[in-house]
Parts: sequence; C-alpha cells; structure tokens
Amino acid sequence: MMTRCRCVACAGRIVPRSRESAIRSLASQLSQRTRYPVMYRLVAGLALCASCLEQLPVIGAATCRQCGREQAAEGLCQDCHKWTGETLQSNRSLLRYNEWGKNLLSTYKYRGEERLAALYAELLAIAVHRYHHAAAFDCIVPVPLHEQRLRERGFNQVELLAGRLGARIGVPVRPLLHRTKRTAKLSQQSGRTAREESMDGAFSWAGEHLGQAQADSHRILLLDDIYTTGSTLRSCAKTIREHAGSMCHICSVTIYR
Amino acid sequence: MREYLLYVKVGSESVQSARAYVTPCFSVDQSFWQEREGCQLHVIGRSPSLALAFSLREMVNVQLQRQQAVSRSLNEEGLAELRKLAVSSVWETAALYGREMAGEQPLPCDWFRWETGDSSVVLDRCDRANDETAEALMGPLLEGRGLLWEEIETLLMHRAVALPDMTAVLQRMVLAERAEWRPGIRLSVKKSWWKHRLELVCDRCGSQRKDIELTQCHTCGQGCAYCTACLGMGRSKCCTPYVLVPCRSPYAKRDSKAMHRASRLCWTGSYSRDQAVAAEQARRYVANPRPGRREFLIWAVCGAGKTELLFPSVSESLGASGRVLIATPRKDVVLELAPRLQRAFPHARVIAVHGSSQEKWEDADITIATTHQVMRYYQRFPLVVLDEADAFPYHNNSILYRAVSRAVQPGGKLLYLSATPPRYLQKSLAAKRRGAVQYGAGRSLPLVSSSTHVLLPGRYHGIALPVPCVVTVQGLHKRLKAGRPIAPLIGLVRESLRSERQLFLFVPRIDDVEMVLAYLTKFFPSEASRFGGVHAADPLREDKVLSFREKRCRVMVTTTILERGVTIAGSDAAVIGAEVAVFDEASLVQIAGRVGRSADDPAGTVLFLQAERAAAVRAAVKQIRRMNQLAKVLRSREEGQA
Repeated sequence: MMTRCRCVACAGRIVPRSRESAIRSLASQLSQRTRYPVMYRLVAGLALCASCLEQLPVIGAATCRQCGREQAAEGLCQDCHKWTGETLQSNRSLLRYNEWGKNLLSTYKYRGEERLAALYAELLAIAVHRYHHAAAFDCIVPVPLHEQRLRERGFNQVELLAGRLGARIGVPVRPLLHRTKRTAKLSQQSGRTAREESMDGAFSWAGEHLGQAQADSHRILLLDDIYTTGSTLRSCAKTIREHAGSMCHICSVTIYR
Repeated sequence: MREYLLYVKVGSESVQSARAYVTPCFSVDQSFWQEREGCQLHVIGRSPSLALAFSLREMVNVQLQRQQAVSRSLNEEGLAELRKLAVSSVWETAALYGREMAGEQPLPCDWFRWETGDSSVVLDRCDRANDETAEALMGPLLEGRGLLWEEIETLLMHRAVALPDMTAVLQRMVLAERAEWRPGIRLSVKKSWWKHRLELVCDRCGSQRKDIELTQCHTCGQGCAYCTACLGMGRSKCCTPYVLVPCRSPYAKRDSKAMHRASRLCWTGSYSRDQAVAAEQARRYVANPRPGRREFLIWAVCGAGKTELLFPSVSESLGASGRVLIATPRKDVVLELAPRLQRAFPHARVIAVHGSSQEKWEDADITIATTHQVMRYYQRFPLVVLDEADAFPYHNNSILYRAVSRAVQPGGKLLYLSATPPRYLQKSLAAKRRGAVQYGAGRSLPLVSSSTHVLLPGRYHGIALPVPCVVTVQGLHKRLKAGRPIAPLIGLVRESLRSERQLFLFVPRIDDVEMVLAYLTKFFPSEASRFGGVHAADPLREDKVLSFREKRCRVMVTTTILERGVTIAGSDAAVIGAEVAVFDEASLVQIAGRVGRSADDPAGTVLFLQAERAAAVRAAVKQIRRMNQLAKVLRSREEGQA
C-alpha cells in the first residue's frame, strides 16, 4: 500500500511499527465501531509518519450542523444563524486550518507540489466516509478556477483531488461550473461582506445537461480545498440550484475549515 | 498561450550554413536577420510546447549536417524531409509520453500539438535603426544570472524596470548570442534497440528522470513535466523558459578608482606566521591568470581563522575584475559572515542572499549566499569561495556542486574552505604526489601544501587542539532512559558547573534532547534553570542559542545543528552516543573543534561517550592527533630555522 517510505509532509522516515498506535487512535476517533475497519484502512493509507499523524488537527465530534465548524456543542454556529433558505445543505471538513495546514496547502497550491494531491485525496476520502456514505452521491463537482489563474498556476488543485477521490469512492466527476469572475486572492480581500459580494455571480453553468429523469433526485458533492467564509461554495450551490432544478441535494466537503 | 516556431535559416554566404532556430516571436527574428544579412527562413512548424520545439531543433540540426555532407544546398526536397522528420518525431514523443502517463487522458485531444508550416521568407539585407534602449536596460540586469521566466519578472519588478515586450527583447539577446534560452526541463527521445525511452533532464538543477514528475499542464495545454528536486526555488517546467545570460563583459565598467577603493582591506587584525603563509598562497592562486587550475582547497583546522585567511584573496579578486561569491550551507552563517566582511571591506557593497532575504535581486561586489540561492547565478563570478564544503546540504549533493561550479565564470577560480574536507576533495586536491616533501618520520601525515591546496594544522594561538577522551559505557542509552548514573557524564557536568564554564552536550536525535534534559534535572535539580535544549525544528531556536551565547544558559543539549559556526569562549563539549551514524568523522572533529578556540582559554575537555566501539570515533581522534603532530613538526622546523 505504501509506495514511498518518506512522509510527504515532513520528509521524515516512515516506520510502520511506530505508526501503528497513531493509526488506531485516529481511526477510532474518526468512526464508530462498526465502520472502524474501513476507516483503519483509509488512515493507514496516508503517507504520513507517526508524528505527523499524531498532530493531524482533526475536527472533533461536535460541529456546526451547517458549516462543519468545530464548536463546544451541536447546533448552528453564530455565522450560520444568519443564513436562511440555504441552498448548500451542509459543509463538512476534516482538518482545522492551523499553521501546519497552511504550510502544507501552500506547498501544494502555490509551490506546485502536485504529488501532495494523493495525500489530500486520501484525506477527502476519509472525510466523505466519516460524514456521509460513499454511495450517497451521484456526482462530484470540483470548484473551478478562473481560466487566467489556471494558466498561471498550471493546474487546478481541486480538480486533481476530485479525479483521485472519484476513482477512490467510485463516483463520477462532472465539471458543471465555469468561473466567470476573476476574484482577487483570498488573502488580498478584506472582510466577510466584501468576500460575499465578490463571489456573487462568480460562476456560470457549464452547460452539461443532466438527465431530466434524475434531475430532481440528483445528489451533488461539491469539492473545495478550504471553507473560510463559505461564500465560494454557496455561490456554486446557487448556480447549480438555478440550473439543475430545485430538488437537487447539494453537500460540500473540504479539507480545511 | 505562447507558441514557439521552429525555422531553418539558410545564409547567403558561399559556404552553406543552415541552422535551426526556435522563436516565440517570428517578426523579431525576421527583422534581426534582415539587419545582418540577406537570408532565407523556412518555417518547419509550430507548437505550444517549448521542450518539444527544442528537442525537434536538436534533431533538425543533426539532420541538416547530414544533408550538408551530401549536397551543398538545402533544396525543397530536403525541406520536405525535415518537415516529415519533425512530424514523425512529434508522434513518437507523444506515444512515449502517453505510455508513461498510463491511464490519464490528454487535455485537448493529443499530448503534443504540432502544426507543420510550409511558408518560406526571403529576406534582403537592409539597415534599420533599432531601438536598443530596452536591451541596454535588460543586459546588465540579467548578466550572470540563470532565471526562470517568473523570476525574471520578479527581478524586473524589484528593480522597478517596466518593459512593454520582454519576449522580444530577450529574443534579440538570444539571437545576438548574448543569452541562451531553454526549456526548464529538457525533453528528448532516447532510442535503443530494446525500448525507446523518454529522457527528461532539469536544466536548472541537473536532476534526472526519477526526480521529474509528468503532469497535465494548463499553462501550455501540452504534455508537461516539472522538477521536484528544485521545486523550492520555483517550478522548473517543460513550458517555462529558462534564461541563461553569461557574464561576458568584465564587471569593472566602473572606473578603476572605485574598484580600487572597493578592494581596499581595512582589517586591523594580524596573522600568525602559518596563517600569513597560507593566506599568501591562496592569494597567489587567485591572482594567477593562467587558466586550468580551477579549484583550490584551504584545509584549516577548526579555530584556525579561516574567514580571515580569505581577505587577501577577496581583495585581490575585487581589485582585478570584480564580483566575489561566498557560498555557505547555512543561513545563520550567511548572516554572521556579512557584517564581518562589510567591516573588513568598508568601501565594497556586501549583500547577504538567502531564501527570505530582501537583497536577493541586488547587485554587489561581495555576495554571501546560501547554497540553494547559488542556483540563480550563471557564470557570474571570477572568484567563488565555498565555505564548509563538507557540511550538510553540500556533502554528496551533486545538484549543489553543479550550481556552484556553474556560478564561476569561464577561467574563474573556485576556492574550497574546510576543516574536514571530504575524501573526494582530499584525493583530488590534496593527494600526495611524487617528489613532495615529507615531514618528520610520520609517513601518514598529510601534505602541508601543493599547487592545489594549503593545509593549516594549528590554531592561530598556536596551542594544540584538545584531543577527545573516548569512554565506552555499557548500555549507555538504557542507563540514560532509566536515569541510572553515568559517572563520566555527571562528573563533567558537575565540574563544568562548578568552574563556571559552559558545556555543549550533543545528542544524536531530536527526541533525545528532552530525555537528556530530564536526566540532568534529576541529578542536578538545583541547577535546572541553567540547562537548555535546542534542535533544528525548535521555534525558539534563535533565542535559545542567544541565551547560550550570553551565558544565561550554562549547559546546552543540542542535536548536530550547533556543531559548526558557533564560537563560545571557555566551553567544553561532550557527545552522548558518539557511535550513532549521524556523527561521522567530520562532524565529530567539528564538535571537538568547539573547544578552546579563544586565546585566553585554549584548553578544555572533549568527551565522546559511546555505547560500543565505532570506527568514526576512532578516525576522528586519529585525525585530531595527526593534525597536532603535524603542527608540532612544523613548529620545530621553524624554530630550527630561526
């Protein structure tokens, strides 16, 4: 299962024996007893060393029912109280966005270390298994990049993950969206409202028609790397809802929250 | 999406000189050739993939030479043959690429897009006034650098230079042979009777196939690849132009007076006799205009004053022609060296170049850089000094060796500086040759000097290096873990605390730092506040090292990060677990070299604790003994002469 014997995050040596306890505790934290074997195998497939596995900032059991934020009790968080008539059914994320995650994600996205896609796809598979059933979706829709950004970067980080995740859980990937607006980088925008406004109408329908028969029962999994304010994913969900009919069921999964 | 056009130029000279060129903007090429000569340009084809265009150019050039051997002119038939060759090799490359990418689908419809051209242009010579201000602006900026396209953009931004059309300016420089541009990753098809293979080489760091990842690239829309070995310095890809501009003109465009001022050495210290001899020898090597001797080794034991030895050589080089590069493996050392050199050369411009440096894109007389940053220089410096050639990133790292030797100008000099040169340097530069003078009875003593090296076996204060005391402790690591007493260690710590000295405690692994700290606290509970521990990943690393320097912390438990570049007067050193592989001969000699560096306190204790006997420990002790012996022999000879 392990192709490389180096940790992809810290380049340290992977010693299977020392990893074992970390894998077990993480797998039991992530699943109930009945689904433990599946989770164990998924966690064991991560190309991380023991110390990286131990400090993996996994989001705890109590989260906001809407956006997946970690909090003390179940229920809605402060921000989600504001949203009514939500098109995005729910968001779930696996990891907290801490310093470790920031460095790793920027190595992947900005440095262009595409080999990390394998790790992130595994993490997403864990997230899907933790919060949903694998067969709960008809298709995966990755959040698209603007054409110009895509040309600068050379690859769409989410699309790479979607392809690998789709193959992992057996769900087809469909690029249903286009990005029409070129928004500034997240780090260069200030404020939640500015973000909401800039994302408004940033996406358009890519024209692929879903079969009319399935349209009302369509269950769509939106995929992104990080959920910050949620405006990107909400904007995507709105566009899909407008074109695919009001009955489709849209959930999202991200790596970081 | 940029497109690259491959064309063949047939000159009008009597001897046929057809050559293939790749260009991103054909109009620039046309006007360039028109200014020079009348000629014909035959378009072979175009592709968005830079690497593919270059691999075809190689092939076309080979084919052209073959054709020229048969007939003296390139006719229609020959051209058609070239175009056919291009199409077939594109097809072949795409097939091989597809095989390597097994299972993945190409982005548009095929891995490589190639449009065969059929146009020919006949150009008559005509003079046109060309605006050369842009080139005059770019030339000096890029001179002596090897940069990826994005890096050039950053450089221009930092220097506040705005150019309307950078591609055209660069292409003119390339045609005038003042620059070279290549794909970041070179692509070629290696043919063999067994199996054709795709060969990929990173042109920036020289990595081979195993470090290169194939990828679907949205920048060029073609089959592409990137290098993972030098990823930290920006992505080197098949479609990223990599521009190399050698430093042709001497740097001394400034008046000679300014050069003279910059090279003035204001250093008030003085050399010991041995130091003076060694420094003079290094200076002579640098001053020697004869080509051929490219490398020189200064082998000086720890605490011999290596940095000061460099001053005459640096001054010589600054006075003669210009820029000097000093490359060292660690950022800490860069930051420490820069002010020292600035003090010695107050009229020269000294910059410190490392990953997070603000001065990365500046131009200076003396550049002090970490090893990775050296990758961005190309034939820039007449003198390159490589400090600590045996230290961690350099040692056995062919990428960095390549980078350093590329930074030297043709005919320039490379100076290695080391206390423990690796075997391969010793063999190539400090080997015994026939007819060399042997010292004393000890046949085993190394040679003190030759035309390619100089050895300084003694410290500047003239007192011998402290010889480590090796103690084998049965079950050392178990005792440590269980907190059972280890007599030599406890004795050393107690003695060191009592006499108000400082102590380095080296441990092999990061986890051991905590363990040894706990062990010490158990035996010396009242002194716990004076113990400290540090390792490479420690966020408070700089503060802790500073507190040790300021004597707030008396005993520092550390991994090998403090093994070099740290000078603390009145200190002792001990290694716990010297048999572990991280402590090789060089590193143990360096650790022993921490002790007794100042003239006020030239003695000290070095203790190597090992759980079992180890070859590296014995070799390190032997090396220190040999150096002491050699220093003694030299001294007695000197006294005899006097």
